[in-house]
Amino acid sequence: MEEEEYQKMIKRCVRCSVCKWIPQVQIKSQKYASGCPAIDIYNFHPYSGGGKIIIALAYEMGRIKPTEELRDIVYKCTACGNCAVACKYMNTLEPLEIIMKLREKLVNTGCGPMPQQQAYIEAVKKVNNPYNEPHEKRTDWIPDDVTLDPNAKILYFVGCTSSYRRKEMAIATARIMNEAGVSFNILQNDEFCCGSPILRIGDTTTFEEILNKNLDIIESRGIETVVFSCAGCYDTFKVDYPLSRKFDFEVKHTVELFDELIESEQLKLTDNVPIIVTYHDPCHLGRNAERYEDWDGDVVPLMPLVSINIPPKPKRTGSKGIYDAPRKILKKIPGLKLLEMERIQEYAYCCGAGAGVKSAFPEMALKTANMRIEEAEDSGADFLVSACPFCSTNLQDGINDKKSKLKYFDISEILLMALGLEPEKLKQATAEVL
Amino acid sequence: MLKEEILKEFQKIVGDENIDDGEVTTNTYAYNWCVEFVNYLANKDPIPFSSIPKAIILPSTTEEVQKIVQLCNKYDIQFKAQSTGLGPWNQPSTDNCVILDLRRMNKIVKIDVKNLYVVVEPYVSGAQIQVEVMKFGLNIHMPGAGPMASALASHTSMCGPGFTSPQTGHSARNVLGTEWVLPTGKILRLGSLGLKKESDWYSGDGPGPSLRGIMRGWVGTKSGLGVFTRVAMKLFPYPCNTKYIAKGHSPLYDFHLPDFIRAYLLDCRNFKHLEKSLLRIEEEEIAFICSHMSSFAVMAIFSYSLESLMDKIAIGSMKKPLVIVIAARTKREFDYKQKVMNLIMDELNLTNIIGSKYEPKSLFYAECLRANLGYHGFIATGGFQSAKGQCDTAALCLNTERKNIPLKQKYIEKGVIANDFGEGAWMTSYESGHYFHMEVPTLFDQTNAESVKGIAEYMEESNQMDLVKHLGTPFFIEGDELHDEWGPHLMNYHIWLRKIKETFDPNGISDPGFYISSKKGDV
Repeated sequence: MEEEEYQKMIKRCVRCSVCKWIPQVQIKSQKYASGCPAIDIYNFHPYSGGGKIIIALAYEMGRIKPTEELRDIVYKCTACGNCAVACKYMNTLEPLEIIMKLREKLVNTGCGPMPQQQAYIEAVKKVNNPYNEPHEKRTDWIPDDVTLDPNAKILYFVGCTSSYRRKEMAIATARIMNEAGVSFNILQNDEFCCGSPILRIGDTTTFEEILNKNLDIIESRGIETVVFSCAGCYDTFKVDYPLSRKFDFEVKHTVELFDELIESEQLKLTDNVPIIVTYHDPCHLGRNAERYEDWDGDVVPLMPLVSINIPPKPKRTGSKGIYDAPRKILKKIPGLKLLEMERIQEYAYCCGAGAGVKSAFPEMALKTANMRIEEAEDSGADFLVSACPFCSTNLQDGINDKKSKLKYFDISEILLMALGLEPEKLKQATAEVL
Repeated sequence: MLKEEILKEFQKIVGDENIDDGEVTTNTYAYNWCVEFVNYLANKDPIPFSSIPKAIILPSTTEEVQKIVQLCNKYDIQFKAQSTGLGPWNQPSTDNCVILDLRRMNKIVKIDVKNLYVVVEPYVSGAQIQVEVMKFGLNIHMPGAGPMASALASHTSMCGPGFTSPQTGHSARNVLGTEWVLPTGKILRLGSLGLKKESDWYSGDGPGPSLRGIMRGWVGTKSGLGVFTRVAMKLFPYPCNTKYIAKGHSPLYDFHLPDFIRAYLLDCRNFKHLEKSLLRIEEEEIAFICSHMSSFAVMAIFSYSLESLMDKIAIGSMKKPLVIVIAARTKREFDYKQKVMNLIMDELNLTNIIGSKYEPKSLFYAECLRANLGYHGFIATGGFQSAKGQCDTAALCLNTERKNIPLKQKYIEKGVIANDFGEGAWMTSYESGHYFHMEVPTLFDQTNAESVKGIAEYMEESNQMDLVKHLGTPFFIEGDELHDEWGPHLMNYHIWLRKIKETFDPNGISDPGFYISSKKGDV
């Protein structure tokens, strides 16, 4: 968000509190009416999207100083974007972008980010991943039976979390592509952090360096399509990179690719997977994965105080997230039954891990995960499925903490079962149901 | 900030994590919608920040509220309670005030299907109640502020007209048993809740003590007379089947229309024709929604962006529009209501524009049922406020609207409020036309100092006009100055109001900024 727009927009919150809820016409129960983890946990208004717009204004007016109090409130937010969806149902404010800009300002003054977040920035600078793992171990996840093609035009960008923490996702993704006969390669030791965790906490300078490094490498290899199993990497490449630098290659999340492969029958779902699942929409694959559309129109004064955009300026409402592809995949799996939670798609409740919360405020991340797990339990499903390694980690932490009977799988693992490539895993899964 | 020893006492009541006197939190609570022109009218800097509260406290029970109020009395600190918190009425009027944010009091206590009422705590929104009572085929009244607003706040402390008022009435009329923490810290239970034996929530006015007039009167005390911690509200039959499904994606959700619902958009020739039409339609008791508004406002309620508002010229040139929604639970009921509407339209020479010149999106019906139409007022400039408002006969409401047009046009010509041709008004009947509500939504730009000044001056002049031309009492007569001005013209009501304030709040602890202060000795 440009500074001029920011300065105008922070004066416009009407303090209606819609940002605390999911869109009003989507409320189905008292229990699952809210949409913002931060306000649900901390209760004071400044934790809401609207509250942070007021903070931004108060900060610009010099009413509040860059203190630890300010920093803690601004960073206790998963940047899930529910506030933006709820607000933009009718309004034109951008609460999430204002939060991001506010974080950027706090970083620039030295007030932000949180110390734990600063530590992972340093780790990325040093070893190219926020987990501070040795760079040379980035490819350790690759099993012997996976085939890579050095000449492939499709690149699988594995991401830090799948490389180091959620290796099962990376393995499943590679095996499925092999099964479908998709020729792909990975960057091996030339793959670095996408910059998402750094961008979300407001260090835009470091982020710019990272995106340029990544784009230089990918473009130098003549890649036509980059595939991501990590929703965070996908969102960052798809939505955030083009704001700084355009590129020609196509970006796809694995759920999009797998859906296409099933449609074209390159993947044949042969095995019965008789389980009842519910699907969690990751924020970075759903509402936040909507690209900014170029707009080169005019702001035309219509009458005093009222101007309109000609042509209409596209509004990011979360409606163009990736919602259908994962559901189509799940519905095509023989024997599998999909039950929806109350809050889905652009008004899905966050898993609680994003935007540096998992590292700086693990208790907030866990509480949020627990709330989402409860909603998944209430859906009647036995399995919780998603498509993001960050969601995977946090939701599994929630399942363990809550001692839930739910089992978590990434959608790629479920797909492996349906392809008959993971008979042992399927056996475990179905045993739980029975 | 609070003194350390006082802060510790509050912490003992609610726990450390539920009180905050930090700079960031208190400043955030100092902000609200329309505070800029409230400040301007009070000769203060026209910024959207009020006095900064000393601390924000989050009680979770009536007992905690009671203890907080007692402590406020002990240390002579004023308090202001709020729930969902929309509008300047939630703001402290002095620097010696704590805010009780009732967000943690968020339970639906009881749904009594047989006796048609629901008991709730402050931080339960209208939409939350509606979706729960819909499971029993029932509905709740929601105010124009919308489904995200606290139902308790509207029912106990604020004005409370809504789009569905023809069927669901007015918040003031729907209050039943009430639990009230008085400014002294005592708990008063009103209506049947106050019975010594077999107390329950089913009635607000007896058996048991009825103090509804004192508790809220017509427009509410805006936390100027204590804190309401639980309230029972009337429930109504849901107007159609309760299958409420909105598919697709935001904002243009595809709403699956209930079997029996229909909208009418009628254009009356003039105010006389409009009055006759309103009364005639309401006489038949068939409307779920029966609202008159300007053609500009009609365009707004069918729009989801400013740009889409401007392509509705087909309905933008209407003279005196009337929006009617009828809904039914059976085909027989629906046929009857449609037949009556057809007869009335024939009788009054009215044509339904919907179906011929315009077809609303299905989402319009979803918003009608969820009472979300008022929010469309923000589309054009991002800011609006109703410059006046009254509750009276249809004739007086329309006379006020008519006489207000040239005044509003004067400010439009100055360029300080947006141009709705001076005709911007919203009027609805209550309880099938027993009486009516009218207000004048006015579009301004809160970021433009001249516009802020303009709407403030327009509101002042509008109030003066009501006084001079005997057009009834506006609903935003709040605070000492305005009560003192209006009281002598209206049977010196302000003296009685002060007497109430003094009796119930002898220490002046419940912030009187949007109510009245006792001014001890003057009474």
